[in-house]
Amino acid sequence: MGYSLTTLWYERQRYFPAILAVGFSSLLGCLQFGLLLGLFSIVSIPIDNSRADIWLGAPQALSVDLGRPIRESQAVDRLASNPEVDRCETYLQGFAYWAKPNGGMELCMVIGCRLDDQSLGRIKQLTPELHHQLTEPGSIVVDESDLNRLGLKQVGDTAEIVGNRVRVVGLTKGVKSLAGPYVMCSVTTARSLLRLMPEQITYVLGKCHDSADAAKVVARLRQAHGTDISVFAADEFSFRSRWHWLTKTKAGFALGYAAVLGLMVGAVVTSQTLYAATAASMREFAVLRAMGIPRWRMSVLVMSQATWVGVVGVLLSFPGIFGLARVADIYGVQVLLDWRMLASVSGITLVMAVFSGLYALRSLKHVEPALLLR
Amino acid sequence: MSNRRCFCVSLYGLPADDRLNMKGDGPLRLGETILQAENLTRGFGVGSQFTLAVDHVSVEVLSGQFVLIMGPSGSGKSTMLAILSGLLRPDGGTVHCLGENIWAMSDVEREQFRLEHCGFIFQGYNLFAALTARQQLELVATWGNHLGANEAKCRADNLLERLGLGGKEHLRPSELSGGEKQRVAIGRALIKNPNILFADEPTSALDWAHGEEVVKLLRNLTREEGATVVCVTHDPRLVPFADRVFHMEDGRLVRQSYGFMSHPEEAIVTLPEPGEVLPGPDDVVSFRPRIAP
Repeated sequence: MGYSLTTLWYERQRYFPAILAVGFSSLLGCLQFGLLLGLFSIVSIPIDNSRADIWLGAPQALSVDLGRPIRESQAVDRLASNPEVDRCETYLQGFAYWAKPNGGMELCMVIGCRLDDQSLGRIKQLTPELHHQLTEPGSIVVDESDLNRLGLKQVGDTAEIVGNRVRVVGLTKGVKSLAGPYVMCSVTTARSLLRLMPEQITYVLGKCHDSADAAKVVARLRQAHGTDISVFAADEFSFRSRWHWLTKTKAGFALGYAAVLGLMVGAVVTSQTLYAATAASMREFAVLRAMGIPRWRMSVLVMSQATWVGVVGVLLSFPGIFGLARVADIYGVQVLLDWRMLASVSGITLVMAVFSGLYALRSLKHVEPALLLR
Repeated sequence: MSNRRCFCVSLYGLPADDRLNMKGDGPLRLGETILQAENLTRGFGVGSQFTLAVDHVSVEVLSGQFVLIMGPSGSGKSTMLAILSGLLRPDGGTVHCLGENIWAMSDVEREQFRLEHCGFIFQGYNLFAALTARQQLELVATWGNHLGANEAKCRADNLLERLGLGGKEHLRPSELSGGEKQRVAIGRALIKNPNILFADEPTSALDWAHGEEVVKLLRNLTREEGATVVCVTHDPRLVPFADRVFHMEDGRLVRQSYGFMSHPEEAIVTLPEPGEVLPGPDDVVSFRPRIAP
């Protein structure tokens, strides 16, 4: 390691393009995936902005917005029977068709939750004034950014959701939507909008005495009920929901493709730089070969250099990643820099750098000690 | 005597006469054959472009000798050195080094043989630009001899001190003169205690003042350490320092001579018989090769 680091530092101008390429790959990958996560974090808004520690729903729940009806009493019993759980409440969420007042249809995401001050499912953007107004049947709240999309002009306008007349009683700020605008209402209103039976709900939310116990309760429920239910800690369900959309949609593929292109550019530049650097030391390596030093020693040196190029490149990219994410945030674009994503992209970039070193090893094949004597 | 013996130990880790121990049937004694090549041939090119670089050459090198292979450009002397040192396979003939036929070995065995017994010095210094003088030596000690970091550093510092580079261990090639760089290259060749040192035009890139230093250093290796040095050169100024000179022209060995004949006042007459075990390092210093009848 010592010789490779020494060489890297002393000949930094030679290795700079490779370090820059690795850094660029890492930066591009992290920002692309950060944008993607930011985009799909919209899916998990109901989880991230609520106060529930545990979400219990129908089996094989892929994402919070893809929940299916479950029987209320049974689900509540299962969650409430755990001593760590302080309280439970019902929660409804599902897609419905919105008939615009001036014609046309729009897919919307209906969310029904309890409206008291201690509500677990109420998102934080829903102010006490708004949830008081939502107690009236048929009243809804939408985000101000979705007014045009829903064909609305102002608070007080009415529309229809699957034949049920609804009236907008207030607006939230910053609840962005992806597949369909969020429509927030009471559990009773949501049940009629989603055409659910009285005993049917989508999720049971739980709050533990100590939030740290959530994982323990989840594990116990999974062991007890197996595949009969889906139960997640809030963080886990949030990530699962985002991951589902990330991997399922073409948008994820497109952004991922761009990130892979970035990696390929990095790989080409890195491998060429390492190849050239190794070739430039051909005569020195030839002397070592003449003296009987085995070739694998030199291979380890080159691979070590490749690894260090990767490590330095990735580390140098981080200030850029966080700086550009901040700039994007200023312009209203969310780049979500989840540590798992950062670790994964950094790992992939490092692997790319190491593979570039493997390519550069080809130059060692040309090391021929007899050449020094001609 | 005691000082010299101490030096031998610090530089090579073993007394000079012990260093001559070799594979085979027993200890190699000073004046015994260490390298023997018979009927070597090597050509390059095909058809009308074919050139015979080495044409049926036979040489014998005795242990503890400073041997020159001389000749004009294109005489085949570097090709000869490459064949003798196990770097270039001959088209015909045999090379026995330390009693072993090196061209009958597999590539891996020959590589291991070079690792254990051979050192190399080339015309260009071929030092890693990024590494200090000490690191150039440590690299070979740790990679070649599998020494630990501390032992490699200690051995490198001792050797550099002996080569007159004390206080310059931390300098990189760009901060050293040509002569100093060549001395580092010599140190790199010596640090793994080779039995035989092959040098290709080691002084050609140096002015004579520095070149003479290097030649004296190589000759002293044979006198004080009992090492054998085979050196290719076209510089006649090296001849007085040599024990034996092979003259090549057009791939053929045309003449053999004895370098010290140019300096008869330095000729030492206390010659041991071939195969005689020398009683001590002082005798190593005074050793001169026997004159062929």
